[in-house]
Amino acid sequence: MAATNMADIRRRIKSVSSTEHITNAMKLVSAAKLRKARNNFDRTKEYFHYMTESISEIFYDAAAVPEKYLEGNREIVNTCFIIVTSERGLCGSFNANVIKQAEIEIEDDPNRSVLIAIGSKGKEYFEKRGKYIHSEYLMPPENITFSEMRKIANMVIDMYDEGTVDRVVLISTAFVNNLEQEVKSVQMLPFKVKAKEEYSMTDTHYIDTRSREVEYEPSVEEVFNYLIPKYVEILLYGSVLESATCEHAARRMAMESATDNAREMLSQLSLYYNRARQASITNEIIEVVSGSEAQNAEM
Amino acid sequence: MANTIRLEVITPSRMFYRGNVELVVVRTATGEEGFMAGHVWSRKLIDIGPLRIREEGGSMKYAVIAGGYLDVSDTIIMIYTDAAEWDYEIDLALAVDQKAAAEKYLKEHRQLPDEDPNIVAVKKGLARSKARIHMAEKRDRRRNMN
Repeated sequence: MAATNMADIRRRIKSVSSTEHITNAMKLVSAAKLRKARNNFDRTKEYFHYMTESISEIFYDAAAVPEKYLEGNREIVNTCFIIVTSERGLCGSFNANVIKQAEIEIEDDPNRSVLIAIGSKGKEYFEKRGKYIHSEYLMPPENITFSEMRKIANMVIDMYDEGTVDRVVLISTAFVNNLEQEVKSVQMLPFKVKAKEEYSMTDTHYIDTRSREVEYEPSVEEVFNYLIPKYVEILLYGSVLESATCEHAARRMAMESATDNAREMLSQLSLYYNRARQASITNEIIEVVSGSEAQNAEM
Repeated sequence: MANTIRLEVITPSRMFYRGNVELVVVRTATGEEGFMAGHVWSRKLIDIGPLRIREEGGSMKYAVIAGGYLDVSDTIIMIYTDAAEWDYEIDLALAVDQKAAAEKYLKEHRQLPDEDPNIVAVKKGLARSKARIHMAEKRDRRRNMN
């Protein structure tokens, strides 16, 4: 009895410790990948921020923006959702969070929505549930290039221009810090432009812009026709990079807790093992002692 | 000393240039145009072509940019471009090859309409190669003079 128990425990210890080795290795790998992605993300974040700020500053000058890109100029019937998830699993609730948020938003949308999936996890989920995936991009997000994002951006803008979709929403993960990521959903098109009254007096920067005469060349329309796809491209590219950073951070966390759990289990198991071993030794001693006692009694 | 203004040149992959400059020259829709501190606020599209920067103190820097957008305000000139490279980064032989390849493609596909996406892309590439070659030749001439 005791011997088989010990063998069982030994087998479990072996399997748990090999799991621990694997999760630990994966943790190290994601930590390295996270560092790389983080670098990439930080570098681009700075200028994305600048670029989006500069663009929204121009959009503030609402009189100059072609109407069709502004909110409220047409009724919203079809919405396009761009869902950014990862290619691989084992990253905790990273994908589940994004998918949950997407589910809520899609349900809120009574009409047919167009889905664009970046990353296979989101695609598989919605495909299984009979949703129509308009298009997909399936590649590890750390290898994504700007020109590929541009293709998606152009497609989205074309659909918007044609009137196939009236709203574009991007659902992805925002990076707070290494331990915390949260899902964000951003409406990319049409633009929400704040009315002038909504700007407080502290936003002198904006008011300044407003009162300025600005020179556009070749023309306001052409500048905007250039900037609108750029804005979408940049937002998309930035979000994918951010999501990749989050994915690695989430995986590192998940693997860390898996490793911790495995270690805890190992210490429990070795306790059980020692107990079982001690029990079997005690048993043997009892057998020996009672055997000799029995002989003594016979004599 | 001339007045200076902060200039930032950004591409999707890197902060290409950041510093105080006296003058920056780019090619806009109407031709080459220079911007200095105190320029009227402008937002302009930039063509594929050279980028010339006169830094604080008067030293010159040259680059080729792949078109983009320029935003001039009181405090900063911001150039956003899809790609940029300094003159010393240009591989002349490669640019010549690319130019030849693009020209060959255009010759072979003459029947395609001008707005065909491939033709548009190749033409853009051709313009970039030409700008690169031009810039590289100038660079070499400058080097020989010194």
